[in-house]
Amino acid sequence: MDPATVPAPSGLLLAASVAMLAAALWLLLPKSSDTLASRRLGILLGALALVGFAATGRSLGSVGENGVFLTVSAVALVSGLATVVTRSPVYAAIWFAMALAGVAGVLLTLGAQFLGVATIVVYAGAILVMFLFVLMLAQPSGMAPYDRVTNEPMLAASAGAVLLGLLSMSIGRLSAIEPPACCRMPSRADAIASGSAAPVSPEAGDEVARLGAELFGRHLFSVEVAGILLLVALVGAIAVVSRGEAAAESGREAA
Amino acid sequence: MQFLPSPAALAALVKIALLVGGLMTAAAYLVLLERWIAAWVQDRRGPNRVGIPLTKIRLFGLGQPLADGLKIILKEDFTPGHVDRVLYNAAPLVILAASLAIFAAIPFGSVLPPLGIAGLPDPVPFLVAPGLDVGVLWVFALSSIAVYGVLLGGWASNNKYGFLGGLRSSAQLVAYEIPLGLGLLGVVLAAGSLKLDAIITAQAKTGVWYALAQPLGFIVFLVASFAEAARLPFDLPEAEQELVGGYHTEYSGIKLLLFLVAEFLHMVTAAFLIVILFLGGWHLWGVTGASDDIGWVQALLRFAILSAKILAVIVFFMLVRWSWPRFRFDQLMSLAWKVMLPLGLVNLVTVAAVEEYRPALEAALGPGTARAVAVALPWAACLVGWIVAGVFTPSGTDNTPILARDPLDVERGIAAGELPLAETAGSR
Repeated sequence: MDPATVPAPSGLLLAASVAMLAAALWLLLPKSSDTLASRRLGILLGALALVGFAATGRSLGSVGENGVFLTVSAVALVSGLATVVTRSPVYAAIWFAMALAGVAGVLLTLGAQFLGVATIVVYAGAILVMFLFVLMLAQPSGMAPYDRVTNEPMLAASAGAVLLGLLSMSIGRLSAIEPPACCRMPSRADAIASGSAAPVSPEAGDEVARLGAELFGRHLFSVEVAGILLLVALVGAIAVVSRGEAAAESGREAA
Repeated sequence: MQFLPSPAALAALVKIALLVGGLMTAAAYLVLLERWIAAWVQDRRGPNRVGIPLTKIRLFGLGQPLADGLKIILKEDFTPGHVDRVLYNAAPLVILAASLAIFAAIPFGSVLPPLGIAGLPDPVPFLVAPGLDVGVLWVFALSSIAVYGVLLGGWASNNKYGFLGGLRSSAQLVAYEIPLGLGLLGVVLAAGSLKLDAIITAQAKTGVWYALAQPLGFIVFLVASFAEAARLPFDLPEAEQELVGGYHTEYSGIKLLLFLVAEFLHMVTAAFLIVILFLGGWHLWGVTGASDDIGWVQALLRFAILSAKILAVIVFFMLVRWSWPRFRFDQLMSLAWKVMLPLGLVNLVTVAAVEEYRPALEAALGPGTARAVAVALPWAACLVGWIVAGVFTPSGTDNTPILARDPLDVERGIAAGELPLAETAGSR
């Protein structure tokens, strides 16, 4: 779609939503001068901005059809916002986990089962548990005041809101272009909506196999590079630990 | 406008109701079984009084779960003043919801014979979510969500014992997920599917259960699933004698009940997985075939075989509880990283090699000999791995505190405890 043919109200609505979101984020981000009224105003503006963003979407379909998708994406969005504005590091990690669960739900409704479940296993199951582990050991109440407020709340809020606006504009354009028949993903969501929970087609059961063939065929090099990167990180971690021990030992020898 | 849900959705609801009802009842009676086994091991009588209420009929104590449940539900649900209220209330819900949702991907039988209802797939599988291709990963994902319940419960309690329990639990579960995954990978590699029902069918077709084909993987998976279920000898997150109950120290009443039920469900999940992945699921030689085209008798028989196997594994879990003392935390970690992880890797490599060269073997030796070789090779790997692990893992551990030991003495070969503590400390 040509930029000139974007209907004006939608563009205005998008701009207004971006502005409201930026203001809401700025009001909500942890600052030294927070009042209850400003936070309430921030929550109100944020809700309005979300409604605005939803309204600029080209077609949301009926709630009955897309209810699951709308619910999980709302969970992902709201939890993502809550992650950055919450005061307590532990709560931020929990909100982040909720956001990941929402994203995994979106992937599941789109039929990308492996990605959806892998998101939970890798991020929520391993990485975030490690985060929580460290956060809980780090005693959040003992942190210095400058660690408890946002650096540059104004810039961060505007950058985030503008990025979201740009992304939704470009995605709106992309989804306006109908993909050719060859390249459309067979969607399990369609099959479930049409009443048969069974696999869509005989080869739909091989989704994981196809993903594996793709990863270890076309993208073998990337997989290998990622594996080597992880190995280097592992060796590095062990090296740091053993050097720490060696330093402690030589320190003892000197003493 | 469609008012009634589709037959597939109704079937899923019926299965969910059966599964949740069955699991909750089973959890209650497994507690009774556990108390009976504890009593038997310790040579006492155990609960045998409560029978039918308001009568004198005792029924060997079969009414005990009802009495236990009523007692714990009617107890005061006390919330201490120093807790983080939101997370304190959310933690038991998170752990129970995750433990129950795991069963969406776990088959609890084979298939029903065709019912002939329009809109239902025929034959009807004993599985809530038959369309899920990544069943094994789903189980992994949700059991890692269940960790949050423990971790948050421990942190939100704002209690040192609870906190230590939560920390121990998260470290233990993250560490043992790796050997668990390695044990699992061998099975997935051999079966060529992430679906649990397909893994059972693969074992039924060849008649070789994966416990026989991959003994090392079975051992690694068994030990790791004890640790994941936090059962003795791996129950460090709630070690009563050290942590006063660990992460649920501050919980009482119905919330404590939710934690305890979730814990039992973890054990039941572990038993399901052990049976499905390694012990052939509903398959038994000479009794069940491998095909999905079965009658009612065969369908119920398969369900009974699966249930009996699971019960046997649970009884094994309970006997182990009274047979081994608890590990210390460093022993737990070195078992995971220094013994189970290498053994799991050995198993994976062996299975990969066997699966890779199986067609070549069959062409060269004939199917019978090839199958014997494919079973013998992993057993040889298991034996060698076992011996190597036994020789190179220290059988005793040095129990002196690390701070009292001088690393230079360790290098010079002076054993800990030979020097007096004060002298060692003074040299630093």
